[in-house]
Amino acid sequence: MDEYLTDGYSEPCAQCAAVDWGVSVEEQFFCKKCHNVIERTIDMVGECSLYSNHSKISYIARPKNTAMEFPQDWMVCEGFQFVLKQQADALVSLGVCLQFKTDVMWNFWKRYLQNTRQAFVNNPVSAAGFSAVNDLNSESKSKPESVAFCEESFLIGAPSEAEKPASGCSNKRRSGSLDASLYVKGRKSRNVMTMPRTLALCYLALLWVREAITLADLLRLVKERCVPYLNIHEYIPKDMRIYGQDSKIFRVDSIPSYSTVHKEAVELAKVIKLPAFPTVSQDCLLHPIPLTVRYLLESNLPDGLLVWVHKVIDEASMGDDSFLTFDPVKQKPALVCYDIQAAAVIIVTMKLLFKLDDRVEWTSSWKAASEKKKKVFNVERWYKVMQPAFERARQKMEREEARQLWKSHEPFITSLKDKSLVFKKRRVVNHLQHRFQKLTDSTPEQQCFTTTAFSSFQFHWGRDDGSYGRSLHQHRLNCTFKKKGVKRLTNRKFWHTVLSVCPPTCSDHFSEIEASLPRMYVWLLDLFSFLLGVSQAQVHKEVLNIERRFLKRKRPPVPKSTQRPSVTKKTPRPSATKKTPRPSATKKTPRPSATKSTPHQSATERTLRPRKITKA
Amino acid sequence: MDDIEAELKIDSPGNETTNQEIIKNPLHIEAPSKYYETGFHRSSRKCLKVIRDAMLHHNWQKAAEYFTSYIQTLEDTTVTSAHLTRDVIWRLGAEILHHLANASIDDFNAVYEIMKHAGVSNYAKICLEHAFHLLLNGQSDEAKRQLSSASHWRYGKLTDAQSLEMKLIHAYCGFLDYFIWSNKISTTPETEDVSSLQEISMYFRQASVTLQEIITRPGIWDPFVLSYITMLEHNNSLDEALKVLQNYAYNKDFPSNPNAHVYLYQFLKRHNAPQSALISSLRILHSAVPSHKLMLEFCSLLLKKHQDTALKEALCACMDLLEFSSWKCDRDAWKCLLKILQRPKNEHNMVKEEWAVRRSLWMAFHFRPYIIKTESQKDVRLWRIKERVLKLLGEDLHIEDTRKSPSGQRDRHHNASEDNVDGDSRRGPARNSNSSFKRDESKAAREGNAAGLRDRLTDFTHRKRPINTLNSTGQLVPVGFIPDV
Repeated sequence: MDEYLTDGYSEPCAQCAAVDWGVSVEEQFFCKKCHNVIERTIDMVGECSLYSNHSKISYIARPKNTAMEFPQDWMVCEGFQFVLKQQADALVSLGVCLQFKTDVMWNFWKRYLQNTRQAFVNNPVSAAGFSAVNDLNSESKSKPESVAFCEESFLIGAPSEAEKPASGCSNKRRSGSLDASLYVKGRKSRNVMTMPRTLALCYLALLWVREAITLADLLRLVKERCVPYLNIHEYIPKDMRIYGQDSKIFRVDSIPSYSTVHKEAVELAKVIKLPAFPTVSQDCLLHPIPLTVRYLLESNLPDGLLVWVHKVIDEASMGDDSFLTFDPVKQKPALVCYDIQAAAVIIVTMKLLFKLDDRVEWTSSWKAASEKKKKVFNVERWYKVMQPAFERARQKMEREEARQLWKSHEPFITSLKDKSLVFKKRRVVNHLQHRFQKLTDSTPEQQCFTTTAFSSFQFHWGRDDGSYGRSLHQHRLNCTFKKKGVKRLTNRKFWHTVLSVCPPTCSDHFSEIEASLPRMYVWLLDLFSFLLGVSQAQVHKEVLNIERRFLKRKRPPVPKSTQRPSVTKKTPRPSATKKTPRPSATKKTPRPSATKSTPHQSATERTLRPRKITKA
Repeated sequence: MDDIEAELKIDSPGNETTNQEIIKNPLHIEAPSKYYETGFHRSSRKCLKVIRDAMLHHNWQKAAEYFTSYIQTLEDTTVTSAHLTRDVIWRLGAEILHHLANASIDDFNAVYEIMKHAGVSNYAKICLEHAFHLLLNGQSDEAKRQLSSASHWRYGKLTDAQSLEMKLIHAYCGFLDYFIWSNKISTTPETEDVSSLQEISMYFRQASVTLQEIITRPGIWDPFVLSYITMLEHNNSLDEALKVLQNYAYNKDFPSNPNAHVYLYQFLKRHNAPQSALISSLRILHSAVPSHKLMLEFCSLLLKKHQDTALKEALCACMDLLEFSSWKCDRDAWKCLLKILQRPKNEHNMVKEEWAVRRSLWMAFHFRPYIIKTESQKDVRLWRIKERVLKLLGEDLHIEDTRKSPSGQRDRHHNASEDNVDGDSRRGPARNSNSSFKRDESKAAREGNAAGLRDRLTDFTHRKRPINTLNSTGQLVPVGFIPDV
């Protein structure tokens, strides 16, 4: 550290004539031999009051760093390798097994490089050839690129010369990666590595080792800066200097959305030509059963709900390994959104038990409350506990988002011309921030992020400090009644929106039907979409998927002994059905069969149950 | 050294930064629906929204906290209007600092200095603001230093683009010179010390040169003109001062400015100018601002002239004045009117003509029973004057009585019902009305200076018409007499 600071200063000491300088705590130079302190101080960026009145601006040349002066030649893919290594290290330090980094990530990356012919092959191509590589693997394509490559490396021949700005030479590249410009040109191609793709690769690797980190978790880790992604150039070693075109590749000004990374992951799996992934069985935490336990805990729902969640999973045949396991080799590889799916299962279960049509869930809650039995779960009580906590969490997130710092202390330099301007802006921002921080005694949010430990739960329930409210986990679920020895659901009706599948060109219809949906259902979507950091439409889409599977299921002939939720369909609002144009006639057929299987059951129930339900 | 070239390139679109532009393309606070928004932009948008809300709620500490995070938008690389961001940050920062309890003058200076150099497009404006701020805090020397350094600022095309600000900087430079000069003059007694005299004269020279130059340009330069006049008066060059003031008042290139005439009048009065000069300067003021408080002086000046035309003018001016609601209950104005009416040479016809034009308005505006009632209770002295005025105008004093039994007098007025049809709520018991007179009067009413106001009031009486009722003798009771209670 001291060497770096005292590098440019080679005056001999006045007392002992030795050239061995160090920097004291007061930032003064002292002779390491005789401890003679001299007048010279290091210049402090940010601290000095450069702009304050009457102060003389003194300039002390920054010592030149040898590493900066001779930056290494590096390729963009090396940069990405470094990024991936940092991300893998961060994940391992968070508790992911070491195998994840050493075997899986490394292998994936190697395969990627091989398949895109960037490395580990006999005739590597540089980035611009990417678009062609996928279709043709002729050598002729790589030839012109290699010529360009030579040219570039020739220009780099004398880096020390190029480094001097005063020389005014017309070199395009002062430093930075060798193939950035080619990389940027070929950016449209599917094979090129991008910053969102590093996350996609991380996710695939996590999936491979069957870690309990879902994609939503990964993105939250990124957001809270536990996994390096923003301002990645701070992590890259000094001798790999990011400069010019590189900033287009490595600069990040937003965290990619869930759907982007998900899509990229599927793409990437295809590019890497991965085989089928390890099966997601019940012992894996990505399986809906353990995952729903997690979300039930998070959303303060009673444990009793788990039984019903299991039933829904079984009925919708979602527990299948073949359904859950990602297999890129398949014709149409489908990567299940495990976390959204688990949330959707909970929502479907809630709909099944409490109907959630803004009426039944409240009337049943009032009934439960009037029974004066404690520890019986009712929706109203849950809502009253959950809603303020949810609102608080949402406001906190808004606050954090508003105060999030995106810019790093070391700005990206896109060109030599802009260099001084960029540094000036940085200086101005620094000074202003300093001024106002002194006035408000506030620290930027960024530091708060890193200091707090990451928790996979956003809500804590219970009596201890920092909890969001009292826990309802132990509450009993009272949603069945016994009739002639057969357990039946109190709620006998089930509603859903139109289930027919839209053509892929059609966008989602959630925004159209949102206003017509029951508020309680929308609130529930809101809650889970907040927990997962996705849009409501995505959760709703997954709910529809599950309902589709659930209602399409093949039923065994109804044995009297097993209880089963009686299902009657009801399309809640005509407007919702009318608005969505789709080939309805063919698709709707499975639904009547689902209802017809238990016609007598619901008919008898209707006669026996109190009028309350039929009102709904 | 900062890279001027690069900055110029960035700043070139910001040449015509004006408030209009900011109003036209404000920074977005609501979520955009059309285009994709990066996380950075979303953060800054939300941050700006929080700052705005905090500022509106006077929660300055919170605003400052969020502002600390908002500063990073300066480093935005995609934004096309970097000057706008800088402008917003400067304004927000200055405003927040202004309200923060623990902000010191050093903080202000530092922030102003930083923002001044952050982008050259706002340099002049920020300099000027900075100087104002220093002046507010009583640091006129520091402000002077700021301004004089700013006035030497040159930056290619950008200096021209900020010509207005540069002109103002120049003007305030001169003004501060004057300020220092006048301070020195008042504090240091007559000294023989050559150096101090020299210093004083130097300031005098600087200030006079600058101010003289500034006030020849079209514009409103009130404080600068006043200070320049003071200096000229101090130097006893009264002709020059008069010339300056006349130019300021009468030059067609200058925007119309009532103060210019006021200054001219005051100057003339100070130096004992002949009455006619005073009157003519006030006459122009009267045409521009008939409600000006100098109009009373105008009247008294006119009264001194002992001429019929002057008397008529005084009557007009005084009555015009009283037609403004701010003067409505002013005792001096009424006294003035009384004085005019009491003039022995008072030609009866002249007053009558004037009164005939204004009567309908005045009866509704000043002599409604409700007003009379409240005034006679609250401000008796005023009411007494008004009463006498009314008497001199030839109106009946016992209005309330007439309201109670208007029929007696109404019988004498053969055109009363016709008047009401015309919408003229005039009551003419004491007036010998004839048809020719009435024609004149309605014509004059249309031409009167306060026609707009009168028309509005006549409208008001129109609206009240359904309230008019036939009294016992089958005649309409005029609207002006229905109390407002």
